[in-house]
Amino acid sequence: MNKVDLTPAFLIHRRAFKNNSLLLDFFTYEYGKIRLVGRGLRGSKTNIQMFQHLNISFSGKGELKTISNWEVDDIPRSLKGEGLILGMYANELISRLLFDQDQHIKLFKVYQQFISRISSLEGRFNHWSLRLFENNLLSELGYALDFANDINGNNINQDMNYEYQSQLGFAQSHTGKISGKLLNQLLIEDIDNIPNLEQLKVCRDLNRQRLGFLLGNKPLKSRSLFFTRG
Amino acid sequence: MIESLNKAFCALPGVGSKTAQRFVYHLLERNRDGGMELAKALENAMEHVKHCSSCRTLSEKDICNICANEVRDSSQLCVVETPTDIHAIEQSGIYKGKYFVLSGYLSPIDGIGAAELGMDDLEKKLQDKNINEIILATNATVEGEVTAHYISNMAKQFDIQITRIAHGIPIGGELEYADINTIAHALSGRKNYD
Repeated sequence: MNKVDLTPAFLIHRRAFKNNSLLLDFFTYEYGKIRLVGRGLRGSKTNIQMFQHLNISFSGKGELKTISNWEVDDIPRSLKGEGLILGMYANELISRLLFDQDQHIKLFKVYQQFISRISSLEGRFNHWSLRLFENNLLSELGYALDFANDINGNNINQDMNYEYQSQLGFAQSHTGKISGKLLNQLLIEDIDNIPNLEQLKVCRDLNRQRLGFLLGNKPLKSRSLFFTRG
Repeated sequence: MIESLNKAFCALPGVGSKTAQRFVYHLLERNRDGGMELAKALENAMEHVKHCSSCRTLSEKDICNICANEVRDSSQLCVVETPTDIHAIEQSGIYKGKYFVLSGYLSPIDGIGAAELGMDDLEKKLQDKNINEIILATNATVEGEVTAHYISNMAKQFDIQITRIAHGIPIGGELEYADINTIAHALSGRKNYD
């Protein structure tokens, strides 16, 4: 991999490097998460932006390679408001949880779909799209859950309620908050089949618990981007 | 002694040991007076320049000249990322209000959240009844936009106008060479021609 030509990628983070360069973290289709140096890119008038599908070329012999060329392969997109914060949140998840240069082709496609959804839709749609992204991320990391069967091997009943047993799966429970219907929706992964507001919150809490296990005692900083007072 | 001076110059951005060496020999051989002046000015500045207690820009006084200037419009507050942004805006000569410097932008992956940028200080400042308008002049980057979004949410609890600086085609620039995002911004933010 000394030289790579125009591979699909999203920029997920950038920081200043030396005098006029940038350290750029990309989520790429072929090489997963990868860090590159953008020499002389700092202060250039048109910089690489996040949340845009790009094609990037890079080369180098060492571990840290240099970006040589990039082009935008997307419609103009400027995320606003909540969508912007959800995007930053997804980027932080990728940055924190994926290992460098592990290929995640399916997750890349889900991320691409997620980014295009949050730039055009609001509220419930965005959150559902994010939950599906989180589920795919967890699956890719080897923490997939069985949404079709409960922990006893019985089919999930859409009319029953369930509770989550950490790392194991779902168990039928009268007091459980997770509806069988939600589990079915998570199984089908239909982006247009959105759970109601209450079940979306249940889903958020479920994913928060699952991700919390991986994130340890260092919570995600993007959650603090939601201004909650006032 | 020469070696330590050489190393000291390397603290400047973009100065490596080769350039530092040139500086050192130039000062020692050709311009000792200039060197002494540089040393005194540096020591003075490093010792006395601090952050303005009102707007957080760099200043040798407790309150900087802009904040202390009573002629300037206290009803407008322009929020910028760095003290150099103030310098850039001041050079345009069009803005007569006051400033607030964040000293950075929100960047969760780097661990920079609201507390690190002095958002509490800004919130206290906004409680001042004299402020009618807050101008969000953070950079036109995703990080700058996130920062602006956070501040606008915070400012909504007060009865003030929230504005964002315009993004578009630079003066003297040609459409053909502008990137698609800039063109999209320029079109969506178009104004009546007068």
